[in-house]
Order: sequence, then structure tokens, then C-alpha cells
Amino acid sequence: MPKPYKAHTAITGPLARRQTLRDLAQVLPLFVVLFFLFGGAVVLAVLQSFGYAPWFGINEFPSTHYYERLWLSADFWLSLGYTLYYAIAATLIGLVISIPLSIALCARFKASRIFSALIRLPLMVPYSVGIALALVMLGNGGLLSRFSAFIGWIDDPAQFPLILRTHWGWGIIAVYVWKQVPFMTLALAAVLVRKGDDTHEAALVLGATSSQIFWRVTLPQIMPGIVSASLICFAFNIGAFEAPFILGGGYPDTLPVLAWRYFQDANYAFQLQGMAVVVSLALVSGLILSLYLLAYRRYERARGRV
Amino acid sequence: MRKASLRSSQMLLASALVFANMSSALLAESAPGVFRSEFLKGNLGWADVTAKARTEGNVNFYYWGGSDLINLWVDQVAVPELAAEGIKLNPVRITATKDTVDVVIAQLAAGRGEEQGSVDLVWVNGENFFSLQQQNALWGAFANRLPNSVNFEWDEADARSLLNLRDFGVATEFQEMPFSGEQYVCSVNRAYVSTDQTPATFAELKTYLEANPGKFTYVKPPHYLGNTFVQSVLYAHNPDGTGAEPYQKTFEDLGSAELARLIEPGFDYLKSIEPLLLGGPSGQTRYPESSGELDNMFLNSQVHFNCKFGVFANHTGLITGAYPEQAEEMIFPRGNMIKNKNYLAIPLNSPNPAAALVAINYFSSVDSQASRLKTAGMPVGLDVWRLNQSDKDLIEASAPPHYGITQQELDDNTAPDTNASLVDVIEATWLAVIERKEDKPIADIVAQVSGELNN
Repeated sequence: MPKPYKAHTAITGPLARRQTLRDLAQVLPLFVVLFFLFGGAVVLAVLQSFGYAPWFGINEFPSTHYYERLWLSADFWLSLGYTLYYAIAATLIGLVISIPLSIALCARFKASRIFSALIRLPLMVPYSVGIALALVMLGNGGLLSRFSAFIGWIDDPAQFPLILRTHWGWGIIAVYVWKQVPFMTLALAAVLVRKGDDTHEAALVLGATSSQIFWRVTLPQIMPGIVSASLICFAFNIGAFEAPFILGGGYPDTLPVLAWRYFQDANYAFQLQGMAVVVSLALVSGLILSLYLLAYRRYERARGRV
Repeated sequence: MRKASLRSSQMLLASALVFANMSSALLAESAPGVFRSEFLKGNLGWADVTAKARTEGNVNFYYWGGSDLINLWVDQVAVPELAAEGIKLNPVRITATKDTVDVVIAQLAAGRGEEQGSVDLVWVNGENFFSLQQQNALWGAFANRLPNSVNFEWDEADARSLLNLRDFGVATEFQEMPFSGEQYVCSVNRAYVSTDQTPATFAELKTYLEANPGKFTYVKPPHYLGNTFVQSVLYAHNPDGTGAEPYQKTFEDLGSAELARLIEPGFDYLKSIEPLLLGGPSGQTRYPESSGELDNMFLNSQVHFNCKFGVFANHTGLITGAYPEQAEEMIFPRGNMIKNKNYLAIPLNSPNPAAALVAINYFSSVDSQASRLKTAGMPVGLDVWRLNQSDKDLIEASAPPHYGITQQELDDNTAPDTNASLVDVIEATWLAVIERKEDKPIADIVAQVSGELNN
């Protein structure tokens, strides 16, 4: 909850006071959502993961055995490994594709408007549709496998090489990349446009090669965009459920799927174990994101920008 | 002075009137629980129930909405026929009954007690019913008090009544009404498997898979379809040869060591067929997550068999195109085709309990069950031997056809469900032995998972 308005503020006068009140009123909805809905859920999740669920007739608070059981099992670490692998691989591949695309998007050429419209297309399609497309095209009962069976490459669709549902996660990564490249590209292009062409032209005049311009000028300029875009995508990927559930390779599942399995069990005692998974995932994700931001802060400080 | 006293007496009168109004309103409002306790005490006649049901007007029916045929029947038959009785049926289609059980329990935990919930009626069985019962979230013993209760066998002296009185071994205590009676039936794709190749036992299935690796799989436990397949394997591999019998006991009665002894041969079999299941030959066995996924594999001829709860699943699969054209039913595993019933239950905090009772009474009528059998291919839940001849004939005439087998063969090969307390342990054992491939003696695994389940 926001603190009540205090009279002793630096700005005085009825106008300033009205302005402050208006500011408070504007952020109030956000605070309410953040503190009650989000904060309440977090508190409840943490309480449950420590054994507090009297509404199921379970009250062992504070008990750490849900965490002990989880963290001491090899499965958890395997699941964590897969979760991080899909999230990081998809984010990195997405960045590698988006950076040249965003540079291309800023240049003017004949079909640049069509190009920029095409690039936005996946933004309008939900993840679940992307997942369905992947299933329909690449699955073992999908179009490609049936077509291959039809023209006689393989005897029946089951022989089609397995693309989805392996622990390599090609399907998961493909869906994330397909959906996130447009987002990253637009974010980076916005940064590039704001920077303008001046430094780029100056470097050209001073005789820099195009690879020098990219590494020394463009890349450092769009670094804030890279960081924010990859941060958002990574945070989504690490907690996403549908893609690893539908396109993943089964056991060992990613952590969100593992948590879902616990929640889905008819036995309510497992819900607390699921909460321990969710809280662990939030911890890992929070840790990685703050380390990433810290590293970025250092980089900027080293360049003298902060 | 007089004026003032007049005014004060007027005010007194007015406030007394307001108070009287309020208290009568409070009585009407505090009715939560009154209807329930009066009905359960037997103080209300059916006319009282229907009258209250009409004032309630609505009934919110939460049920698994994965079958188009059932959804159509509900929308086109049940909704108008209940509307004729003055009740609006609101179908709420869900993907997992567990979600609705969660809602009810969360509402009760949040203090939304009698008549303050949102779910009036839920289609349920097995573990979900067990959860509701354990959490004291059920409305009460109503199933033997409805006019159409006569269509069901409640006499414990008759062994056939067990399907109405026990849900996965848990006493129903009349807190739920049978909705439909199902059996675990497998279909086979005749385009690939001839009649003499068709397995009737698990040993024959293994022989078939050795010749045709990868052409079978089952839904992954803890999905109930996967659990059921595992249970039938365990019945067939019971080292004492007593089939399903010991699995009717609770875990406490049976004991961990005895359960481990009973299930060991079955789990050995499951381990031995794993490399022969779908994806097994290439090193990664695939267990589908749902019956829909298995249907697709069957339709795409990735597998040649499809097992699920569905006496008429083959028929409905053929008319909806979900099954391949040459799909036929098979008797497998011989003598161990698990049969159970699913039920309608009223949660404790149902906001329209009288309307829910009227709706359940409607769903239990011969006409309603016969039309559902005919259009949705959903077997009847009532007990045919309780009916008069013309009703029996109606049910028989409504039954969809079988393909390759007869109803009599299905009836001759039934087996009961496993006790719900054992289901939990068996599914956890499956996850440890088959999924995680834990290399420990089965007795240790059973002891470990049952210990984890009990704290």
C-alpha cells in the first residue's frame, strides 16, 4: 500500500499537493495489483512450500522437507538444466537473428515496408497457435510426415525422424525464436533509430571497416536494447509452460511442467511440493536476472555511461 | 409536545417494522443449510424439492467437455428438457475435473460455505471423489432419496450393487449418483492387425510387439487411463492368480510388503515391454499425455491399438472420424477389462442444491439415459435389471453397435477397479520404476513412495 500523503514535503502549495495526489491516484491501481494479487500470491506460495496448507488439512509450518526432497533429488537438477537450456538457447539464437534484422530494418530499401510488416506477423499470433503450427507441420502425425509416407519416402508416418518431443527441444526453441525474434527486432530497431546515423557516418568518414563499425559502434549503442529485450524473453522462457509441455521430450520435464504435474495430482499433499518447485524456479530466475543486470551495470560503468 | 410524541411513536413503529422486515429477510437469507439439513433428515417431499428448485432456477453443471458428442447431447437434449421442468442448466465444460475440485475446496477454505459456492453439480469419480470426501466438501447422502433412485441397485446383499456403493473402493455413502458405467476397452486397426494376430493376453501382446516393435503405447500415469492399463497388467500378473481380489483392500489393510510382492511380476512385465512400445526401438519410449493424443497416434497408424474407457468408443470414434476406418474392438486383456462407474456429486457449497437434485434425478431417468446412449454413445449408469420390460427394450434399442465383439463378451470379461489408496501408491511406483528407472528392489520403492504419500 502506498503511504498516506504527508504534509511535510519539499513542494508546498495547493497546486503541487494536487499534483502529488494525482500521481498517487495514478499509481494506486498498479500498487493494488502488485501488492495484493501478486504479493499475496507470492506469500501464499512461500507459506505453502514450507508446509502451510490448513485448508487441505496440512499444517507442518515451518517445515523444509519439501525443499529437501526436491533439492536432494537428481531429477530436480536435470529439470533445472533443461529449463535453463531451452530458455538460454532460445534467447541467444533469437538475439543472433534479431541484431542483423534490426539493422536491416533501419536501412531504407525497396521492399523495406513489406519487410517490416512481415517481421511483425508472428507478434500477432499467440504462442499456442505457434505450438499448434509446429505440431501440425513437424509432428510424427503432422503434414511433413504424412506427406513423406504418402510419396513413399517412408513406410508409415511413425518412421519420420523425431523433431519434436526430444530433449534437444528443437520444437520448443523454434517456437520461442519464431515468436520472439520480431519482438527483439522491434526493440533493437527502436534503439537504433533513436541513435541516428551520425556516429555511423563519422566512423565511415574516419575509415572504419563495416565489421569495425558493427563491433565498435553499433553493438555498444544497442546494448541497452539487447539487455532489455533478452531479459524479457529469458524471463518469459524460463517460466513458460505450454511449449515444453506439448513439444518437450517428457521426463525429466522442465520445472514449470514438473510443478504442473504436482498440481494436477489428485493427492493434495503434492500441491505443496509443487509450490516448492515454483518458489525454487522464481529464486533461480531472480538470481540469474539480477546477476545479468549487475554484469550489464558493470559494463556500462566501464564504458563510463552510468 | 404531542406532535413530538406522535412523531416518536411513528418512528418507533417504523423502526419496529424495519426490524421485523429485516429479521424475516434474515431468516430467508440464513436459509443456507436449512434446506440441506431438512432434506437429509427426510423432512421434505419431492414436491418441496421441485418447488425450491424452480425458485433457484439455475444449476451450474461442471463436467469434462472433451467429447463433442456428449456436449451436443447436453446442449440439445438435457438443457431443453430441464428447461421444461423450470430449471436452466448451465453447462460449464472443463478439461480436468481436478480443477473444479480445487475451486470447491478453495472456496470452502475462503469461508464460502453452504449455498455460497459456484458449483452445483460435478461429474466425478475415483480420486477426485475421494478428495472431495476427504475434505468434507460433499453435500450429503441424497442418491437413494430421489424418485429415480429406483433405477439403481442399492441392496448390499446383491454383489452387483458394489458399482453404485463403491467408487474405486471408496464407499460412496450415497453422496454421488451413478451417471454412466464404463469399461476399459481396446480397439485394434484391422488394416494392420488380422484377427488371428490380435492379442488377448499380455503375453500375446508382447509376442505381437516383438514382431511389430513400437506399435503400442498407453497413456502416461498418473492419468487415470494409464493407471487403469497398469492395474489390468497387475491383475493379470498377480502371483497368487487371484486377479483383482487383493487390490480391493486399502493400503493399510494390505501393507507395503504384501503390495510389493503382488505387483512385482506386473512391473517386470511393464519394464520388459518398454523398449517395444512406441518410440522404444529408437531409444525413447513415448507415452501420450491424454486420450486425445493417443487417438491421434492411432488414427495416424503410429500405433495399432488404442485403449480407453469407452464401451462405445469405437463406434463414436468411427462416426466422428477420430478412429481409423477399420478400427474394431477386441477382448483384451481377457478376464481383466476393468469396469467402473462415474457419478454426479453435489459440492457442500452448491448455491442451488434443490435444482442440482432435480437435475440429477433427470439425468438418472430411463429416457434421459436412453437418449444419451443413443446420441452420445455413453453407456447407461442405471442398472438394467431394475427396469421393467419396456424400459429394458428401450435401452437395448438405443445401444450403438459393437464392432467385432459382442456386449456379452464384454460383460464376461469384467474386472473391478483398484482401491483408491492403492492407486496412489501404484502410480508413484510406476513413476519411480518406469519413468525415473530407479534401480532398487520394488519393495524398497513401494515403502519409499508410500512414506512420501503419507506425510
